[in-house]
Amino acid sequence: MNSERLISFRQVSVDFGERTALDNVSVLLDQKRIAVIGSNGSGKSTFARLLNGLASASRGEVRVHGIDPIRQARLLRRRVGFIFSNPDSQIVMPTVAEDIAFSLRGRGLSRTEVDERVSRMIQTHGLSHHENSAAHSLSGGQKQLLALSSVLVSEPQLIVADEPTALLDAANTRRISNHLLDEMPQQLVLVTHDLRLAERCDTALWFDQGRLRRCGEPRAVIAEYERSHP
Amino acid sequence: MIGLYRPGTSVLHRMPTGLKLVCFIGASLAIATTTTSLWQVISALTFVMTGYACAGLSARVLASQVVAARWIILFMLAPQLLFLPAIDAVTNTARVALIVILAALFTLTTRIPDLLDATERACAPFRRFGIRPEAVALVLALTITSIPVIAGFAATIRDAQRARGIPPHRLSFAVPLLIMSLKHADDLADAVSARGIEP
Repeated sequence: MNSERLISFRQVSVDFGERTALDNVSVLLDQKRIAVIGSNGSGKSTFARLLNGLASASRGEVRVHGIDPIRQARLLRRRVGFIFSNPDSQIVMPTVAEDIAFSLRGRGLSRTEVDERVSRMIQTHGLSHHENSAAHSLSGGQKQLLALSSVLVSEPQLIVADEPTALLDAANTRRISNHLLDEMPQQLVLVTHDLRLAERCDTALWFDQGRLRRCGEPRAVIAEYERSHP
Repeated sequence: MIGLYRPGTSVLHRMPTGLKLVCFIGASLAIATTTTSLWQVISALTFVMTGYACAGLSARVLASQVVAARWIILFMLAPQLLFLPAIDAVTNTARVALIVILAALFTLTTRIPDLLDATERACAPFRRFGIRPEAVALVLALTITSIPVIAGFAATIRDAQRARGIPPHRLSFAVPLLIMSLKHADDLADAVSARGIEP
């Protein structure tokens, strides 16, 4: 096991009122690209949100790279970037450059360093012509590239992407998924309904009604998932 | 009405944000308290236009700010024309419109992160009273960012209601707008937290 990128869940359950979103999940993960699949309401997003402290476990213990996501939330969020499915809901600042720079607030960086990092991200993700454009006026694909840039600029060690291609067309899905799966050096947890993307990962987790049904080699997990959902 | 930052190297762009804010507040107060005749309106207009020129912003940018403020101008001017002499109605409306357009000049020449820093510094003395300057600054920035988003929600609701043939009604418009805005506030809070910024 690679302890530097170890994600561990020990008998983790999450309750929302009387509904159990995640039920007694135990798993150890150290792969670079981890896919999370399952039908709507199966617990995928709750699993993802636990990794960044956006949700907290009702029972059990979560550790992400050795960090407790609730007690050490501030430290963890500097190491874990989160991409939401709806790009509109993650834009915090009015313009593209300002939104990317926002991720670097409070990190003690000089203005020059912030500007350099922001420029690098803008160029890498093909947003050069939109640097000072209104972030909300971008296309869906560009907004998701902006979200990716805003996450990557803070140089996290783990990226959690919760259905990042759900609202995108085929070309933008290909572009974003290639960025996430092939070009990034970081560890990735990818929550997706797109089984072709899940197949490109190193391991896959299948959630069903809040329970972890299967974890292992993606093709085998996907085949079993498809058999159970004919 | 809240202009997006336009990069530049003008004196207004380079001026420290806190000083610029004080100057703009001072200029707005001066326009509000001294502009009482048509000549003074023309003088104030010349001052605002000079400000845009100093910032290297074209007449087109200035015109777009006037267009953005058209509803304020209309809603202020129309009722006043009924009850006041035309010259007074025009002077009163022009005074407010000029302040709005001047405020837009501030946001056009100031990056939001710089505004955040200036707000944090300005609110720092209030920390001893339990006020968190970084939270105040964040609220200000999120308010500015959320205005176009909520305007987008309003347009979506109007379109959806038209598509279903629902006649315009204040309540059937306000309730979904409130729900969408609250949902957006939740999502935004998650997005801010996920980026490691503690609200």
